[in-house]
Amino acid sequence: MAWRGNLSKNIKELRFLLCQSSPASSSARAFIEKNYKELKTLNPKLPILIRECSGVEPQLWLRYDLGVEKGIKLEGMTEPQISKLLESMVKAAAAFKA
Amino acid sequence: MGLGLLASKAIRPTTRLINFQNPNNLFLRTIVSKPELRNPEPAAAQPEQPLVDLSPRTPVGGARVHFPNPDDAIEVFVDGFPVKIPKGFSVLQACEVAGVDIPRFCYHSRLSIAGNCRMCLVEVEKSPKPVASCAMPALPGMKIKTDTPVAKKAREGVMEFLLMNHPLDCPICDQGGECDLQDQSMAFGSDRGRFTEMKRSVVDKNLGPLVKTVMTRCIQCTRCVRFASEVAGVQDLGMLGRGSGEEIGTYVEKLMTSELSGNVIDICPVGALTSKPFAFKARNWELKNTETIDVTDAVGSNIRIDSRGPEVMRIVPRLNEDINEEWISDKTRFCYDGLKRQRLNDPMIRGPDGRFKPVNWREALSVVAEVAHQVKPEEIVGISGKLSDAESMIVLKDFLNRLGSNNVWGEGIGVNTNADLRSGYIMNTSIAGLEKADAFLLVGTQPRVEAAMVNARIRKTVTVNQAKVGYIGPATDFNYDNQHLGTGPQTLIDIAEGRHPFSKIISNAKHPVIIVGGGIFERKDQDAIFAAVETIAKQGNVVRSDWNGLNVLLLHAAQAAALDLGLVPQSENSLESAKFVYLMGADDTNLDKIPKDAFVVYQGHHGDKSVYRANVILPAAAFSEKEGIYENTEGCTQQTWPAVPTVGDSRDDWKIIRALSEVAEVRLPYDTIGGVRARLRTVAPNLVQIDEREPAALPSSLRPTFTQKMDPTPFGVAVENFYMTDAITRASKIMAQCSAMLLKK
Repeated sequence: MAWRGNLSKNIKELRFLLCQSSPASSSARAFIEKNYKELKTLNPKLPILIRECSGVEPQLWLRYDLGVEKGIKLEGMTEPQISKLLESMVKAAAAFKA
Repeated sequence: MGLGLLASKAIRPTTRLINFQNPNNLFLRTIVSKPELRNPEPAAAQPEQPLVDLSPRTPVGGARVHFPNPDDAIEVFVDGFPVKIPKGFSVLQACEVAGVDIPRFCYHSRLSIAGNCRMCLVEVEKSPKPVASCAMPALPGMKIKTDTPVAKKAREGVMEFLLMNHPLDCPICDQGGECDLQDQSMAFGSDRGRFTEMKRSVVDKNLGPLVKTVMTRCIQCTRCVRFASEVAGVQDLGMLGRGSGEEIGTYVEKLMTSELSGNVIDICPVGALTSKPFAFKARNWELKNTETIDVTDAVGSNIRIDSRGPEVMRIVPRLNEDINEEWISDKTRFCYDGLKRQRLNDPMIRGPDGRFKPVNWREALSVVAEVAHQVKPEEIVGISGKLSDAESMIVLKDFLNRLGSNNVWGEGIGVNTNADLRSGYIMNTSIAGLEKADAFLLVGTQPRVEAAMVNARIRKTVTVNQAKVGYIGPATDFNYDNQHLGTGPQTLIDIAEGRHPFSKIISNAKHPVIIVGGGIFERKDQDAIFAAVETIAKQGNVVRSDWNGLNVLLLHAAQAAALDLGLVPQSENSLESAKFVYLMGADDTNLDKIPKDAFVVYQGHHGDKSVYRANVILPAAAFSEKEGIYENTEGCTQQTWPAVPTVGDSRDDWKIIRALSEVAEVRLPYDTIGGVRARLRTVAPNLVQIDEREPAALPSSLRPTFTQKMDPTPFGVAVENFYMTDAITRASKIMAQCSAMLLKK
């Protein structure tokens, strides 16, 4: 999955917002537990801010250049879907930049 | 007034007494104030028929009772009302549960029981004498009577004895208006005294620059002695002499050297120990009270700012069991005079002659915006300070991001600090949770100077649980037993590899706690140190589903929120190559690193270190003048409230940057504090959950381990001078006196 290593080229910051315990956030939590280590190892300088707060809807935020941000709600998505979504957003960012 | 008139005045009451009073009683000075108290009979033992219902009443102060073991509950009767209390409660506590406030001087719920003031006497059925309720354990079925003639007379008698040697200087006493003795003598005392001899006098003691003593006012309750030895952990105060020669003192002429000494002012029930800086400054009833929080360290102690007009007159603690209980450190209490000195009140631009010239906001902002556009985006650097609130930090970050720069960070956060998982930088155990611990490993942290309130918790745990404390770092002062294991990371590796005897203590402990100092964030090898700490945590089973003992103790009020918002420097040497530096209250940044030709903007409230390097000064509001969100080291979000108006032409930090963004043509999409908080919600939603502690569930062990070499340099000292750590405390005269007199050289 080559796109994972290119995250930091097009993205300045990645943010996951999720709840510590709610079932709505469970797939986002699972995604982080499985993929965070790999993402961080491939992009050691990219901030991947994981912010837990009770009762918050799971969200994914990406910050591009010049402070442009994009946020997507992850509620109801499965873990592979989140992975797909991240991939498509990263690719869109790369295309936008090119 | 003629003599004749005086004589007639003197005669008149006597004649009236003879005419109207009971002929059996020929004493002119009655012992007690009410006729029914003159011959009090113990209350009858017959089962009383209370007229009101026996439903449970609200305990004093709305307190809740915790039953450690529900089987051990006992029932007692307070004034006829049945109450259920846990075994081991005293009579006084039982009365409090029943909603009856018993007068007391020596009893304090957080200190040991002395039982020497005798003010809390109550009548207990079948007991021949009134009993001191604070020292008497409640027994099942006990019938306590707090409102009977015997109890009232006992209080009146005690009050009379206490007032015998107490000077009548309430009009010039700083405790006046909030004095327990004053209040209780009004409520329970006799309306006249019979004492005509000379009052005793006691020489005042010098306890240092913070606590003023007037020892003739002392009623020997010994609260201060017990506080010093039990909570503060210093053996400085004690009781000397006996009988009427009894006095509180320091044995030999000595100052009280504790970072918590100011609390004796609050616990002293009379005016014997009062605040020296506040002496004769104001009366407490003319002060406006604002409930806010403290920003001088990362604990976020709950405080009340008492102000009169535009001036902060004093700072006193507010009860918060989870954070500071009811104590605050001396720095928190006495830093307030720094809020009146060295303040920046006008926007200023440094002219070609090197002198600052006051300008208006429009000019200042347009100059800054122009320079910001002349430099390359990667040459822009923004640094937020130790006292910045979350709102201003997110606005600063958004502003610089929009200018194209990623170089924005908070002070005290080193290059590539991993701020991804909140569990990696907050106190996961929570401050109150430390009380459960039975072993501590302190890594490069000196809690006594870094966070005095956390240190008080550790001390409490050490005394109550006999917890073992191991410390790695430079030699320092502790006020509890500890083992100094080593000074550098080598010891850490030894423990991680199980070679050190302390690793046994951690693995044998039920609730082990590891506290890593916030100073580690400035080390280059922080990842390696955290990796070693994770290894120790894994071996010692420190992080489990029911217990998370892996903690970081942060240093400044802004640090937790800065990490939450991702204000982390991402490349080395970005400051060295900067052309435009925006310092938002950053006074502890190494100014030598800023290149000579860089344009420096300083936004802040004090003319401190960074002002000397600044080209433009933008005056901002201090924590006592604004509404700002702060997150403390355990991840609890709290908010300050404005107590006094801003100084001069200064503005809130976030508003300045918002205005600047408009001038710089990168308008930020919010213009109210609500808008900024909505923005915070999309970055770190825990920061808008005011007064809530959001725990971090994802463990910091998720972080990948980078093979990094550990630097064998010993851990440094994060706080050199406890009394002066930031712009406000450095401007304070009282803190300067403390540093000169109290610091151990």
